[in-house]
Amino acid sequence: MDDNTPPPPPPEENSPPPAPSSHTGSPTDFLKGVVGKRVIVRLTSGVDYQGVLSCLDGYMNIALEQTEEHVNGVVTNRYGDAFIRGNNVLYISAAEPI
Amino acid sequence: MDASSTGIQEPFDLIRLSLSERVFVKLRGDRQLSGVLHAYDGHMNLILSDVEETIMIVDVDEEVQPGAQRTVNVAKRKMDMLFVRGDGVILVSPPSRT
Repeated sequence: MDDNTPPPPPPEENSPPPAPSSHTGSPTDFLKGVVGKRVIVRLTSGVDYQGVLSCLDGYMNIALEQTEEHVNGVVTNRYGDAFIRGNNVLYISAAEPI
Repeated sequence: MDASSTGIQEPFDLIRLSLSERVFVKLRGDRQLSGVLHAYDGHMNLILSDVEETIMIVDVDEEVQPGAQRTVNVAKRKMDMLFVRGDGVILVSPPSRT
């Protein structure tokens, strides 16, 4: 043990929280940002759907365009449009810069 | 929100635009349906007519190498009219509007 380590800085209990930067935001902000972008939607079953996010609703029902269905990395289906029922969704990942 | 060329504002619009059309439905339990959509509701309960159900049956008896393609038996059956309970629905794809 080194006794000469400087003490930790005193807690600044009265300091305001940091201002939100452009890299933070609520989940809703993220979802608004990815509408119209390419996304990967993973279902709880492990199946991935990659396509352009048309829109979504409060249940996380999702409308995708130009959709590819990936199972174990292999394209197993293509849909021009696809409605995904929200209860099956595990995550939505942005596949291009927001 | 980006109202794209299709004019879809919420995911259910995709379903509404598919009424009286033949749709593809992916269900839990490795089942899929093709039928003419007559009605739906907010649970995604569906009324389909002239339905063909395809059931994927994975053989568990055979020795399968990990990651290898598993043999799948496919069973099909036809039904004149079908009510689908919404919680079984994973994905609905309308006919490609091209």
